[in-house]
Amino acid sequence: MPDAANNVETSSVTTPTRPCHAVAVPVIELIDLHKTYRVGTELVHALRGTSLTIRENEYVAIMGASGSGKSTMLNILGCLDVLTKGIYRLRGQDVSRLSQTKLARIRGRQIGFVFQSFELLGRTTALKNVELPLRYTRTRHRRQRAIEALKRVNLLDRAHHRPNQLSGGQKQRVAIARALAQQPDIILADEPTGNLDSVTGEEIMDILDNLHAEGQTIIIVTHEDHIARRCRRTIMLKDGQIVVDTGNGDGLPLHDRSVANPPDEAATKP
Amino acid sequence: MKALRILVSVLLYIPDRVTSLAGNVVTALIQIWSNKIRSLLTVLGIIIAVTSIISVVSMVEGFGSYVTSFLRGLGTNMMVVYPERERGPHGEYLRPAEMTIEDIQAVDAGATAIRRTSPVIFTRATIEYGRQQLAGIDTRGTNVSFLAIRNFDVDRGRFFAAVDVDAGAPVCVLGREVLRKLECDESLVSDFVHIDNQRFRVIGLLKSKGSFMGENQDEMIVIPWTNALKMYPQRRNYLAFYVEAVSEDKIPDAEGQLVRILRQRHGLQAGDPSDFGIFKQDEILKEFHTTRVIATSILAGIVSISLLVGGIGIMNVMLVSVTERTREIGLRKSVGAHRRDILLQFLTEAVVLATVGGGIGIALGYAICYIAGMHPDMVEFNVPAWSVALALGFSAGVGIFFGIIPAFKAAIIHPIDALRHE
Repeated sequence: MPDAANNVETSSVTTPTRPCHAVAVPVIELIDLHKTYRVGTELVHALRGTSLTIRENEYVAIMGASGSGKSTMLNILGCLDVLTKGIYRLRGQDVSRLSQTKLARIRGRQIGFVFQSFELLGRTTALKNVELPLRYTRTRHRRQRAIEALKRVNLLDRAHHRPNQLSGGQKQRVAIARALAQQPDIILADEPTGNLDSVTGEEIMDILDNLHAEGQTIIIVTHEDHIARRCRRTIMLKDGQIVVDTGNGDGLPLHDRSVANPPDEAATKP
Repeated sequence: MKALRILVSVLLYIPDRVTSLAGNVVTALIQIWSNKIRSLLTVLGIIIAVTSIISVVSMVEGFGSYVTSFLRGLGTNMMVVYPERERGPHGEYLRPAEMTIEDIQAVDAGATAIRRTSPVIFTRATIEYGRQQLAGIDTRGTNVSFLAIRNFDVDRGRFFAAVDVDAGAPVCVLGREVLRKLECDESLVSDFVHIDNQRFRVIGLLKSKGSFMGENQDEMIVIPWTNALKMYPQRRNYLAFYVEAVSEDKIPDAEGQLVRILRQRHGLQAGDPSDFGIFKQDEILKEFHTTRVIATSILAGIVSISLLVGGIGIMNVMLVSVTERTREIGLRKSVGAHRRDILLQFLTEAVVLATVGGGIGIALGYAICYIAGMHPDMVEFNVPAWSVALALGFSAGVGIFFGIIPAFKAAIIHPIDALRHE
């Protein structure tokens, strides 16, 4: 807790407004990102010099064919992996080369994951699943916060059901609640509708749309166009580089239009 | 101010640790319960080890307290003094050793730490009654103090009196086992029996005392020592005698006094070995202690082997469990679990598994003691609390020792690899 808080505070010295409603400090700032893997004797360049800025309350789809580097991008954005070269700032804090322990802390407090296959703990209730990240970050009032998160995905009536008593869509809603419980800076969803039929998939997307409307920053990795179209910005990766970035000028949510800045203005800022 | 803040953060941290440990224990119990058979087979070694600890320890303890209470029944402050000739290098007797009634009387009169003495002639005699004949029955020729020194009671008829001893009266007191073997009932009192072809009147029966280490204290004939001397006159100068010290802590004084008196009377010089031996209860205790050491080392052998087997079982099953639950580990890490959290989770699971095994072992140990205690000739078993604590401590220790490697393996799994794991 003290580390993360201190870092945010020191960064706010350069930017006068507080980070939670500041537009000036981007949520995510990637500068010249490189990631190289060694597979056997071969070096694989998963990402080659990617730069990207994502601001508060953006709704981004990351697309690309398999092998384009989108999984790597997701792992790095989610602080599951460290980069080989470049800089990654999360809310102004440089997380490029942090230790596993510090990364774990950031994952617990600032990032909410939603996986394609839900990844719920099978032997415990929905509520306990939602409480899990709060346990690891030693947050107090876990029960309360978990209940609130379940309320936000409209699943409070299933709080004491186990995953095997829930439908696929309900499971994914529990997973979203789990991601929300910590009130993270970003929600990272990896093919969130990939294991669901189209109707249920739409329901999940509706929930994500609502969260976005409530101010949540969301990044979805997907290869489906209709999912990407519901987002406000699409980033297309190919061979480890961004080939398309629609920006978010065209599709900003109405209530946010006055607040959000165009991305190029942020880039020119020192 | 800063110190206060640190203090507060520590105070807030402690209950958090406790609840997260409790959470780990609950997770572990759920995990164990959902793999009941596997868990049971895993902890079999631990169960065997703990069952052995509990049952062997309580048997040894049971016999221990039995020996103690037996010695108390024997007469707490009792010693037996007997003539013992010095032996040469080839076991031959070097010189005669004598013990006469005068020696005994001198000890009785001269030793202040001795309450009473009683001469005793040990033999094995044949007893006949009607058509029944019993050979090799433990027979003691002694005086009236015998009853008090050896804590015997007569619960039918009477013990012989001083006049019987003085007169060398042909009277005897029988143990219950003799009565049973003669196939008689209590009407034998005041009837006549033949002991080594001499006619004796049965005047009383000893109260039953039970057997000890194969010696049945109820299979005994007691006669006046004066009468025994008539039957075995060659024993006149080779008497043994019982001594009762005035109190338990006066036993060394009593021993010192009687040694001094006897050596003086026998004219022994300072360097000469004593021509008599003293048998004390602590020698029975020493004997028992040896048995106890043997039992304990056998126990240690069984326990260490089965704990090793149990520990390897736990390690094995924990390694399997880590592999099976790789995705779960990945998920936990992605929602913020530190390596330490994962390590503690799996370590807790190993310890809980081992401790559950220990608990089953304790229950089985209790059951064995209970069943064994149902046999009428068995001593009473009490499971001492420290053996339960020891057993649980051992199992938890095995859990930690053999659980640390799988737990560490789980902790260092990279979250990306874990989430990709099928």
